[in-house]
Amino acid sequence: MLDVALVLASSGCWFAGALLSASSRPPERLATGLGLLGSLLALGASIHLLLGGSASGLTFRVWGLPARLELDALSAAFLLPLHLVGGLGLIYGQRYWPVQTPWGSGRFLRFFYGLLVAAMTLLFIARHGLVFLVAWELMAVSAFFLVGTEHERPEVRRASWVYLACTHTGTLLLTAMVILMAQRMGGLTWIALPVSTSPLFEGGILVLALAGFGFKAGVLPLHFWLPSAHASAPSHVSAILSAVMLKTGIYGLLRVSSLLPGIPRGVGGALLALGALTAVYGVGNALAQRDYKRLLAYSSIENLGIILMGVGLGWTGRATHDPWLMALGFGGALFHIWNHSLFKSLLFYGAGAVLHATGTRDMEALGGLARRMPRTALVIFPAVLAVTALPPFNAFLSEWFLYRGLFSSLARGYPWSAALGLVALALAGGLAAVAFARFFGTLFLGSPRSEVAEHAHDPAFSMLLPMAILAGLCLAVGLGSFLLLPLLDRVVAVAAPGAPALLDRGLRTDLHLLAGVELGLLVLVGAGIAWLRRPEGVVADSAQEDLPTWGCGYATTAARAQYTGSSFADAWAPVQPGLRRRMPHLRGLFPGGASFRQAFREPIGEVFLAPRVARLAERLLRFRRLQPGHLSVYLLYVLLTLLAVFLWMLLRTRLLG
Amino acid sequence: MVRSLLPTMLQVLLHGLTVLLLPPLLPGLIAKTKAVMAGRKGPPVFQLYYDLAKLARKQAVFSRTTTWVFLAGPVGGVAAGLAASCLVPFGHTPAPVSFEGDVILFAYLFGLARFLTILSALDTGSSFEGMGAAREATFSALAEPALFLGFAALAKATSSLSLGTMLAFPGSLTARFTGPLILVLAGWAIVYLAENSRIPVDDPNTHLELTMIHEVMVLDHSGRPFALVLYGASLKLLVLGALILTPALPRAPQAWQNWLAFYAALGLLAVAVGLVESSMARFRMTKVPQFLVAGVLATGFAFLLLLV
Repeated sequence: MLDVALVLASSGCWFAGALLSASSRPPERLATGLGLLGSLLALGASIHLLLGGSASGLTFRVWGLPARLELDALSAAFLLPLHLVGGLGLIYGQRYWPVQTPWGSGRFLRFFYGLLVAAMTLLFIARHGLVFLVAWELMAVSAFFLVGTEHERPEVRRASWVYLACTHTGTLLLTAMVILMAQRMGGLTWIALPVSTSPLFEGGILVLALAGFGFKAGVLPLHFWLPSAHASAPSHVSAILSAVMLKTGIYGLLRVSSLLPGIPRGVGGALLALGALTAVYGVGNALAQRDYKRLLAYSSIENLGIILMGVGLGWTGRATHDPWLMALGFGGALFHIWNHSLFKSLLFYGAGAVLHATGTRDMEALGGLARRMPRTALVIFPAVLAVTALPPFNAFLSEWFLYRGLFSSLARGYPWSAALGLVALALAGGLAAVAFARFFGTLFLGSPRSEVAEHAHDPAFSMLLPMAILAGLCLAVGLGSFLLLPLLDRVVAVAAPGAPALLDRGLRTDLHLLAGVELGLLVLVGAGIAWLRRPEGVVADSAQEDLPTWGCGYATTAARAQYTGSSFADAWAPVQPGLRRRMPHLRGLFPGGASFRQAFREPIGEVFLAPRVARLAERLLRFRRLQPGHLSVYLLYVLLTLLAVFLWMLLRTRLLG
Repeated sequence: MVRSLLPTMLQVLLHGLTVLLLPPLLPGLIAKTKAVMAGRKGPPVFQLYYDLAKLARKQAVFSRTTTWVFLAGPVGGVAAGLAASCLVPFGHTPAPVSFEGDVILFAYLFGLARFLTILSALDTGSSFEGMGAAREATFSALAEPALFLGFAALAKATSSLSLGTMLAFPGSLTARFTGPLILVLAGWAIVYLAENSRIPVDDPNTHLELTMIHEVMVLDHSGRPFALVLYGASLKLLVLGALILTPALPRAPQAWQNWLAFYAALGLLAVAVGLVESSMARFRMTKVPQFLVAGVLATGFAFLLLLV
């Protein structure tokens, strides 16, 4: 009771903060304080619940019908990243996007940011179809306004409209799902269905949930809105969209499937395969991006694919009544959700700091920022290692869970989907390493490729602090993962009703040893650095400072001669579906000038869908003639409709007998 | 208690000493083999030890573009290699640290070392080193699936995810597993040559920056960082070598016999690499991916054979 009230109060705090920010002279301190208070309340309640508190609910009436809010371990597991990233984003946004901006975009941004967090808080505790849909829609619409913050730029407007169209298509499907669920549950309040009575109904609910929530989560054919929306939003908004809002799709899938009595056998394997494809597709396209925020957005698609692989594995476990598979699948998926929200928001904050300092999203114009923004480079480095799933950082652990799940699924249930997932996970890891070596190498290393990068500087302390906190958490989770096992067990028990707490018992020793090796790695790194710092035996007489990089004899090293990000990833260009290049045709002995062009177009959204949608819209223009805009014509329509209804009434008895 | 613990302690001690002291011998053996095959006298077998001792006393030179990332490559490479070496059994003596899923940590530790090396190459801002980094990233992304599919095949065959059980599988000579095992080892031999930048993938002795892969990435390293780079490379020869040798070695009843067999096999492996290096030229750069894909296919087929 207390916990859910705290979360509700937190939602209220965020909402009040949002309203305050919308006023003409916003009291920024007060609004920020309210938001942070809300975050602390929700974090406290979630942590209390995950550490062993019992689930608490709140029943009330909407229009005379019973409705319910409830905080259980699954809700708490999603509230945790939401309020961590939400609160840190509030601190970060103060300097990143000041209140006083032209067109009042600062106030506008703060209002919808607060509304987004409040709506998502409500979403995670809703146990009622209507409350859920209202919160979902509030979240979707405030995200639309947030994406369109810089609406004076046409590409931003386009990205936000595409997002709005997609999210509403998803809402439409979810509305149908809620209606079906109400039919089966005898009311809009969500209760677990104990026994399967109608497989058709339950299959319908599952398919609608997959399609509707899939739009939000960016599953493979439904992902096309995501890259441009996340690239266009202000960076701390991109962080919360990527770190939390995408996961509401996963939350929905887990919540709805936990209410169903059973999952058909094939669905888990199919979802695992779909997740594997999404992961490889996402990282493959991340490799081709010149825009670093778009690269991060594609990497989110990859990580959502990995999370879906875990969910698919868990569903396979539920279908085959295999508790170990359930624990590793759902546990791995949830753990990866936490980890992804930590490192991806850190990466977006870092990208925001770079964008703030240089004003460009083009990687090839940057370089050498590690010298000019040393603190940013230092705090973003753990996230770069984490996103490529390298030890000793957090994402390695969640992928380790999934590897173990996939291997044990290989030994039992579904060898083919597990084999596919295994290969995809390894391949995605390898490609992510290339993509993020490109990201970090082109942005931060080498020498600056343009004037703007030359004069970059570290951001304000209030922007660095959230990044440092997240970087610390990435390392802490990587080393102390065994402490999280009982928490994950509690969440798995909700996601898969009746699953025993296996993770804590089965993995604790392994994770202890793993943490020991990681600790040893860190100690060795420390020892290596200490050895390098000790004075050498032989010191040159005239120690020269300020020496250039060895350029094979050329005295001047030109920044433009450096390897660019595009050439770094060039070997993978043939397998990039979205990369279009125009090669010059050189003829004769003395060819004239030539130019080479390379551009990226989203394979499904821009190449496949956009022309078809445009053609459809053109066809639909014909119906415009029915809308001439004259009042008399509309009156005629009303009259004709009335006549038709009368005719129907008169003829009904005669026609139907 | 003490009586049973003592042999284990000794084993761990021997494991640690092997990891720390033995690696620089392997490049020396390879170089000696190559020299003998070419009819030269060649450098002494212990040359790398002398080089390391010399470099450890020298002052390092840093370019003005470099940052701390430049040192992350050498330090991280050696640290990751040493951490990974605790997980791999040397011959049929158990690894010091072993748990279910350590194979994934092992693979990703090598990934970490490679990632840091690539970043430290990019840190110099040199076009040559960028080129080397891009090549290394590409080729290792092709070599990684071969390593992983081999692990998957072994894991499926032994239903274990611990390197100790997977590699020292006592039934590895049963009829059903022999075919896949040969395929895995063949694929891993390709990975071994590629990961250690050996002919036919890369030539450690080449003088032309444009044709280098690994060497060009460490052009700017000098002094102690360079000593770490060299030591890390030889460590990789040892640890990945143990990976290939263990499944192929017969199990002996006594611990000392196992150790002896391992050392002998390691020496033979170094000589074999030297023989490969002296008997063939390196591939054209465009041919290298095909060679690596052959490794992926070999291990992939092994995996498929075990799945059906």
